[in-house]
Order: sequence, then C-alpha cells, then structure tokens
Amino acid sequence: MEIKKTALAGTLESSDIQITLSPATAGGIQIDLDSAVASQYGDEIKKVITDTLTGFKIDNALVKAVDKGALDCVIKARTIAAAQRALEQTEPAWEVL
Amino acid sequence: MADIRDLHLRVPGVRQAWLAFLAAHGLSGFSDAEIASVDSVIGLYDGDRLVGTGAIAGNVLKFIAVDEGDTPGANFNQVVSELQSRLMLAGHSHMMVFTKPQYEASFGHVGFTTLAKTDVGVLLEAGMPGIKQYLTQLPGVGDQAAKHVAAIVMNANPFTRGHRYLVEKAAAENDIVDVFVVSTDRSLFTSAERMQLVQAGLADLKNVRVYPGGDYMVSYATFPAYFLKSGDDVIRYQTTLDARLFRNWVAPTLHITKRYVGEEPKSHTTAIYNDVLAQELPPAVQLIVVPRLTEAGTVVTATQVRQAIAEAQLATVKDFLPPTTWQFIQDHYAELLKRIEKGQNIRGN
Amino acid sequence: MAETEERLRRTMMFVPGNNPAMLKDAGIYGADSIMFDLEDAVSLKEKDAARDLVYEALQTVDYGNAEKVVRVNGVDTPFYKDDVRAMVKAGIDVIRLPKTETADMIKELVDDVASAETEFGREEGSTHVMAAIESAKGVVNANEIAAASDRMIGIALSAEDYTTDMKTHRYPDGRELEYARNVILHAARAAGIAAFDTVFTNLDDEAGLIRETQFIHQLGYDGKSVINPRQIAVINKVYAPTKAEIQTAQQVIAAIEEAHEKGSGVISLNGQMVDRPVALRAQRVMNLAKASHLVDEEGNYVEE
Repeated sequence: MEIKKTALAGTLESSDIQITLSPATAGGIQIDLDSAVASQYGDEIKKVITDTLTGFKIDNALVKAVDKGALDCVIKARTIAAAQRALEQTEPAWEVL
Repeated sequence: MADIRDLHLRVPGVRQAWLAFLAAHGLSGFSDAEIASVDSVIGLYDGDRLVGTGAIAGNVLKFIAVDEGDTPGANFNQVVSELQSRLMLAGHSHMMVFTKPQYEASFGHVGFTTLAKTDVGVLLEAGMPGIKQYLTQLPGVGDQAAKHVAAIVMNANPFTRGHRYLVEKAAAENDIVDVFVVSTDRSLFTSAERMQLVQAGLADLKNVRVYPGGDYMVSYATFPAYFLKSGDDVIRYQTTLDARLFRNWVAPTLHITKRYVGEEPKSHTTAIYNDVLAQELPPAVQLIVVPRLTEAGTVVTATQVRQAIAEAQLATVKDFLPPTTWQFIQDHYAELLKRIEKGQNIRGN
Repeated sequence: MAETEERLRRTMMFVPGNNPAMLKDAGIYGADSIMFDLEDAVSLKEKDAARDLVYEALQTVDYGNAEKVVRVNGVDTPFYKDDVRAMVKAGIDVIRLPKTETADMIKELVDDVASAETEFGREEGSTHVMAAIESAKGVVNANEIAAASDRMIGIALSAEDYTTDMKTHRYPDGRELEYARNVILHAARAAGIAAFDTVFTNLDDEAGLIRETQFIHQLGYDGKSVINPRQIAVINKVYAPTKAEIQTAQQVIAAIEEAHEKGSGVISLNGQMVDRPVALRAQRVMNLAKASHLVDEEGNYVEE
C-alpha cells in the first residue's frame, strides 16, 4: 500500500516511542532509529516496526523512530497508529492489531 | 505526571505568568511581534504549577523553557513531543528549532539533527523530509557528482537582468548551475511568482536548474533570534547560520564547489552577508563575487524596480528587466500596487 | 447481575490510555480493578493512538488477577463504536460506559458488545459492562440502569461532572454527594451488583482520603476509584476487617463446613441460624482479610 502523507504517532516520554512515517517510492522500509539501547535491541525494535508495516502491506517507507524505552507492544501500537494516519485510514486495522 | 494545557496569551494573567516564566529561564526582551507570530502556546503543569512551556510558529518550535522535574529531561521531552504532534496535525511534517547551544544535546536526544550552529545559537530540524532527502530528491541532481557545479541563491523580487547576468556568468564558467529561489513569503512578489519569473527568465540556459529553496534557503532574516542576549550581533549570527547550513549540507550533498553572489555596494546587511560567506564557505566552496550589471551607468537592482512600481514610473526600469518579468509586471500591475497600498514593504530585499 | 462469585473491588485505578509508562506498570500496585481510560484522559487527536496502545498492552502486559476495565468514549462520540469493538476483540473484562443516563444506553452498549463478541469470536457473554453515573438524570434513573442487563457488574458515581450538572462543585465534606451516593448504592444492591465511589482528587490530603473512604465504607460501597497508586494502600487499610470480624467470620465458615460434613441442612452458630447473608458476609470478610494479608494461608490471624 502507498503511504499518502507523512504522519507521526507516539511521544518522547519515558517508555514510549515516537514513530514518523514518510512516503517512499522504492528502497523498502528504511528505519532511522534513535535509541539509548540501539546497540543491544536495535534489530528487535526495527523488526517489530517492519513486521507491523508489512501487516499493512506497506512495502516502501521512510521511518524515523525515537525510542524512549518502549516495550514491543508499545512499538507495535505506535507503528499501527502512525501507519493508519499516514494511510488516512480511520477504521481500526483489525487484521493488524 | 505533568499535564499539558493550552495557554491563551490574550488573557492578561496568563500572558504575564508566561512572560515571567520565560524571563526566569533567561528569555526576555523579545518583541511583541515575535510573540504575535506564534500559532499556539502550551504550558506544562505539575498540579497548578507551570513547569514548562513551548510554542509553534509556522513549522518552527519556539519559546521552549522547562523546569527540571524528578526525572531529568522528562518535562522537556513532554513539551517537545506535544509541539511536534501539533505541528504534524497542522500539516508541518518538517519542523525546525533555533535555540541556545546548551539545548543542542537535549534536542539531539529526541531525534533532532543539527543543521548549523554558531557560538550563540544552533539550528536543528526534525520530521520529514529532512535536509538530505530534500536535496537528493531535487529533480536532476543525480548527475552532479562528476561535474563542476555552482550555486546561486536569490530572492529575485523580482527577477532582473542583473540576476540573469550573474547566472549567465556562472553558467559559462561551470558545467551546471543550481539556482535556488528563496522560499520565504514576505516579499512584494510571492514566492510562487518569483519562482515562475526566475524559471521563465532562465529557460534558455540549458545547464541551469532552478529550484525552490525549501526550508533551507530562506531569508536568513527570518531566523528567530529572540533567545539571544541584547548585545549579540543578530545579523552576524543569522548570516553565519545560513552560510554554514549551505556549507555543511547543501554544498556537499549536491557536489557544489562554487557559489556566486552579486557585489553589494548598497545594502549594509547584504554586505555583511557576503562578508560572512567569504569567511565561512572556503575552502570547501569557493565564493565568487561578481560586480553588478550596470545599465546606462546605473546599477541594476530589484529594489529600484519595486520603487518604480510604487511610484508609477515603470518606464524608467524597463531596461533592467528581461521581457518575461516586464510582461508579468504589466499584466499584474494593479495587483502589485494593491499589495503596496496594503503595506507590503518594498525596501529590504 | 453477571457474577456468581463476589469479587473484591476496593480500588479501581484509572490509567490514562495513551501513557505507555503507566500502562506498563499498572499491574504492580495491587489495584483490584484497573480502568484503562480512552475518554477524558485522552486528547481528541490521540483517540486512535490510545485505542491501539491499550489494545496492544492488553495482549502482552501481565495485569495479574486485577479486573481489567476500559472506559470507552461516550455513545454520542465518533470513537464509541470502534472503542467497544476493539476492546471486546482485545478480551477486556468490563466496558465502562461514561455519562450513562438511561437503561437504554446500557442496552445499546450490550447489543454492541454482543455483536462484537460474535464478530471477533469471543465467548458470548464473557464481556461485562458497568455504568458511570455523571448527571442528575443518571441518578434519577439509577435503578433501571443498574438492572438494565445481566452483563452489568457495577455502577459508579463520577462526581466531577455530576456536581457540575447539579450547579455545585465538590466540597471536602462531600455533603453535595449524599443523595447520589445513597441512590447509586441502593440501585447497586437491589440489582446485586457492585457500587463504586468517585475519585478523591486532592493527592496531598491523605487525611481527607481516609475520611471519605471511611464514610463510603460505612455506607456500604464496594470501593473507590483511584487516580494515583499511592491511594490504594490507604483505601485498602480502611477496608481491612478487624481482628474480631475475622474471628467471627472464621467461626461462621467453620460452622458451615461442619454442617456440610455432617450432612446437616441447618447451620447454626451460638444458637443462631447462619442464613445466606451471614454466610456471604463471612466470605467477604475472609476475602478482605486475605487481600489485606491479615490471615496466612491456613487462616491464622497475622499480628501486625
């Protein structure tokens, strides 16, 4: 699916993650991650984001993620919210939740 | 946890408390116009105590000040986070902040990228598209790596034969010339009109590419400086930031090795700008100062063109203008006059 | 009345639905119920994100034995339907309807819950509901509301909006809430469901919280809503049974067990018949005693 516009979800508060999604025409899902734990958990965080976007059938996207110690369920929830905003979907994404 | 509330500065008590909070955090002495320019202001409250504030104006985060709470950085992060989601909601997916150097690290921790800094101030960005994306996605720039590329940044308010003369010289001396038209909309001619006239006036030059300056090549005079101390040299700070932004990001990304500017015998601030560029750009980028085109002994400037429009003396500047700009002014003369009557400043640049 | 066994509901802790730090830790404070808030604690622009966040948290975060409640947005908002569907899909225990004014609102909620259970393959009837009363009209209709559905597990007073509707505000002595508290409690007891008192908002006034909790405990409320984890221990302490109450309850339970063992149909203690209310009360006291750690696993009283 094509991302229509740049969208953001999540905050910079403790235990949260701020996800910004932006359209891209090629290059797959490219994630720029800022996290204090990037060296230990960076790949895991990116995998949650990528898997969630794949659930939306988003093949190409630029992702900026600023992690403040989010659990996987938070990463997933924020990615879902950002994706729905970027795709301008208002009906909850039942198949991705 | 502290909570976010809107601050309506039209309420006198709110405004006074807000100004006092800013003053206690070293922010004071800025103009009412600076305050009037904000789109929304938020307060962070711990119970009934104001512990943080921030504002947005266009795509810029402003007036950020926080008390440190129990968890270091928590108040700052909450304020910035709220401002970012408000900007995004308002359609500003790309956002910038101008702030004191001591806050650079705090913004860095929440994903901001430093674009340029001086001893007194720093410019950072967040959101998308970022500067790299913006520059690499400009149409046609993919072939610039192996070429001699020059750049010219112009406001072109409006585009004159003087501008054309500068571009022609650069085009003759380089493989490619990237012309950036300043995007700030506070000139007599709108940025769309200026862009259109530059494109029309240079259409025949095959190695010249005209781009809008985006958020990166704006009028440096619009860089917020309200957080500087009154003794600081604002113009020098603004022009230095502008020059370093060009040197650190625009030039290396687009393989630009020369920048052309017109000699500036008249405007004091533009002379300072050229002086700062000469200090900041080399050796990475060579600055080439070209003497102004003269017409019948008079230096060709856009200022005189605007003056002539205001005074209904168009004929006196006909020779300054390429046919495309001349025609545009003829077609839109009434509209331009109306803008001047409405108070559009025709001086400045 | 949706339940066969009485559940302790001394505290219902409010957790803002868009706050990951609080969602993550909500299970560690020992609240009997945790109420995830999608309504007042969430700004309009974050309604979607909060719903996603609570949904995902419910999938993975361990909330122990706490009852999981979600306050959805009101029936008159564009968020209500999707809130209900998402929370039923997530397997929430209880949906709390804010600003309940009529039994029909509960019936509508129950219909929406039932169709969501079908849609997402949840067990029919597994999702309970409760009503928050926040207006004069809600108080006047409290009896019908409390009895509106067999999915109902409780009814709560929400005093901030209620006092505004009554053209007053909250006072430290709570006299402005007297009528509503009594009406709601009676409606709950008549319908056989739980009664929840409103929040105590001044976090710095512990004496005031104790006083108010003692009062609603005296009236007969099951418990109180809580906005800060620090309030939980204070409320639990008020609800802790006395040593004498525990000893009496232990005697009652012993008498019941003995009667069962002997196959006797009549249970008596100290020459009095132990009827159902007495037995239920003893059970409740022992539940409270265990939750307050006043008895060990064998039922021995633990001296503090």
